[in-house]
Amino acid sequence: MRHLLMLLTLCAGPVWAAPASYSLQPEASVVGFETDFGSDKITGQMPITRADLTLDFKNVSASRVAVTLDAAHADASFPFAAQAMKGPKVLDSKDFPQISFVSTSVKSKGDGAEVTGKVTIRGVTKPMVMQAMIWRQKGTEAGDLSHLTIRLTGAVNRSDFGAVGWSDMVGDQVRLDILARIVRAE
Amino acid sequence: MWRNTPTAFGLTTRLLHWLMAGLIVALLVLGTVLVRIQPDLSTLWLYGLHKTLGLCALVLAFARLVWHRISPPPAPTGPPNQWANRAARAAHVALYLLMLAIPLSGWIASSATGLDVVIFGQITLPAIAPTSEALENAGFAAHSVLTKLLMALLLTHIAGATLRGLKHDGTLRRITKGS
Repeated sequence: MRHLLMLLTLCAGPVWAAPASYSLQPEASVVGFETDFGSDKITGQMPITRADLTLDFKNVSASRVAVTLDAAHADASFPFAAQAMKGPKVLDSKDFPQISFVSTSVKSKGDGAEVTGKVTIRGVTKPMVMQAMIWRQKGTEAGDLSHLTIRLTGAVNRSDFGAVGWSDMVGDQVRLDILARIVRAE
Repeated sequence: MWRNTPTAFGLTTRLLHWLMAGLIVALLVLGTVLVRIQPDLSTLWLYGLHKTLGLCALVLAFARLVWHRISPPPAPTGPPNQWANRAARAAHVALYLLMLAIPLSGWIASSATGLDVVIFGQITLPAIAPTSEALENAGFAAHSVLTKLLMALLLTHIAGATLRGLKHDGTLRRITKGS
């Protein structure tokens, strides 16, 4: 695995002097989430509607991320959980079919980056911090940053967004694990 | 044999009575367990079982009412105006109302959660109430209160039956052996 700093080192050169715009490969990307359900976990996935990324490997803080998720088509590990999650007491996806995240700052951290931004769930916008790792996709040559894989991890407390349904049974914290495959715009 | 007579309970009524008795006891025990446990994947099926048995109880209650129109049950033993018979009559009416109201309140509350009400692990019942948190809370509150009332009435029903059994007035034999 090659992480961001390695990429920065590998890719230092004129070609990376400018921020590059990337678009999502939706069919190869997935937003996974999990939360506690008694002693078990509810896991699930949510399609990504749109992702706009501008990555600047030379000046990481100039990078931008904006992602929109399709909450109305989310799926969970068992049917009741999916219904409960999309229903009015949790995501209320009928009235709020999308979840969005817009970065406000990106900075290098450890092997990856820390992306701070604003997430909007059920029409409520709150700050959120996600940890990012980035790799070249399989089959690409060293130094070829045209196809990348980004993994974003973070967590939200659903009570912050009024998504409090079944809080006596289902955990408040929802952990997100986003694996996005992106292609550099030509 | 199957039909009631003016003095005896037929097999249909007796089967309905004891099947319902078994179902009610199972539902009360299961319901009490369900409100006390922390749900997880290993216990999720118990909620489905409660709904399945509850719907069976509702169907059986309707079946009894229909059957008793077709084949009326015998009058209580002893003089009709005796206070015990009037009390028994009132208790039976209340029991029937509760046997309808309790499963219906559960079904309404479950429908109001917005989640499918699935019985026998595969049949999704139609939602009989709109998705509404207020209706869900009211429905489950009614389900709980009416269940307590049912428990009290069942104890009265069993106490009354036991008293008649001690008097050997034939009531217990009628509902077990028929006449």
